[in-house]
Amino acid sequence: MSLLTRNDIRGLMAEVVAAQGKRLPDDDGALLRDIGFRSLDFSELALRVEDDIGHELNFDAPGLRQIASVGDVLEFLDSLQRM
Amino acid sequence: MTAASALPGAGNTLVVAGRHLTWSELSGGRGETEAGNLADPPPVAAHLVADNCGAVVAVAAHLRGGAETLLATAARVDEAMAAELRRDGFALVRPGGTVPPTVTRPPEPGRLWLLTSGSTGRPKRVAHSLASLTTVTGKQPARRWLCPYSPGAYAWWQVITLSLAHPGQDIVFLEPGDLDDWPDVALAEGVSAVSGTPTFWRQALWRAGPTVAALPLAQLTLGGEPVDQAILDRLGELFPRARISWIYASSEAGATIAVHDGRAGFPVGWLDRDVPGRARLRVADGELLIESPWGASGMTGLIRTGDQVEIVGDRVHIVGRQATDEINVGGSKASAAAVRAVLLDHPDVAWAAVRGRRAPLVGQVVVADVVLRAPVGEAALTRWCAQRLPDYAVPRRVRVLDSIPIKETLKSDV
Repeated sequence: MSLLTRNDIRGLMAEVVAAQGKRLPDDDGALLRDIGFRSLDFSELALRVEDDIGHELNFDAPGLRQIASVGDVLEFLDSLQRM
Repeated sequence: MTAASALPGAGNTLVVAGRHLTWSELSGGRGETEAGNLADPPPVAAHLVADNCGAVVAVAAHLRGGAETLLATAARVDEAMAAELRRDGFALVRPGGTVPPTVTRPPEPGRLWLLTSGSTGRPKRVAHSLASLTTVTGKQPARRWLCPYSPGAYAWWQVITLSLAHPGQDIVFLEPGDLDDWPDVALAEGVSAVSGTPTFWRQALWRAGPTVAALPLAQLTLGGEPVDQAILDRLGELFPRARISWIYASSEAGATIAVHDGRAGFPVGWLDRDVPGRARLRVADGELLIESPWGASGMTGLIRTGDQVEIVGDRVHIVGRQATDEINVGGSKASAAAVRAVLLDHPDVAWAAVRGRRAPLVGQVVVADVVLRAPVGEAALTRWCAQRLPDYAVPRRVRVLDSIPIKETLKSDV
């Protein structure tokens, strides 16, 4: 299966948020804390990405990161699917 | 009972809801209005608290004179269980007031009750006392602990009893809503020791790695789930001078295994040995059995833990659970049967199967397959479950099947 575009991942993230009756802001700078996007939501999003690309994401990649915004999540998952 | 002011940890600071106070001050009445008037607690009391503020007030009340105490978050006790508690002699102490028991009985002095996840997903009561929950002995270096655990959980009591029994053990409490931001809280409060599940640590490194790395941690504790070498190595690289411990504990057996050597699993040499004051460990048919000096009341002899183990070289690794419907979502245990029952209660669901699926950060999430009587979307089913289950138990993927799968045994695959 082919890789997802950043917009595809954004669409999946919007689905996760919509299931909780919320709307994903258009602004990539929106903070996860303000949206109420928690670790369990991130796990669900990662599963949706895995289902669409057909393989598991490797989360054991080293390196410290700060993931605070919608854009951080999109960038992180986009980079993971390419590893 | 012993007033908090007479305990070794009386002067330790508690940071709760942004306020700083000591056990001694708490015992003296400061902060009591949070959970109602506990100056004269009922002799047999179930404190169903909203947060850590209510929980520490309940602890102080128990120390001061509450003869028999159950402490749990209000969300864990549904109406059926509340009625059962009242029939068993408990007054329900809630933030809004106290409901008397329907049957009165004399208290069992010093008894502390914990609620633990039962095999059916329905919480069950486990009998302890402050003495059986106080498992850390000997002189302890001064620490400022972060306590992220849910009030009343066994791990929560471990932090509480450590602070009561030893001077220099402050606690910074974290409310569930602040869980994702704990590194910022810990940094602001000068936390030097943190206890959490492996998932808790993985999430923190993923979400706020640089902040975690900046923490002045001298003690990192992991428990509640099997620990893997990768997370131990990662934490060891970040905190080379800190002590990193993995604790095996359960409400029934108590805290029985503590490993501090930075390696996953525990030494094979610890099996079948008798050391006074330590738990006796045995492996039978691939299951870990424990005879514990810290066990709950009535738990004598070898306790079947239900944990599957594998011996690799000189280490014993915990690799999963024996046949069970438990799904461990980052240390929170969801019952597949309970989730399935909620799905089957939906008027448009004809059949449901629930299982755990491997997932990043939290280890497993709950997923479900359903067969529908009438069309209903995944989002609607998720919302249905979210209104009836804790968030960790809500299925994160729901797959709609055309028909009920039948195995060769003619049994449905649930």
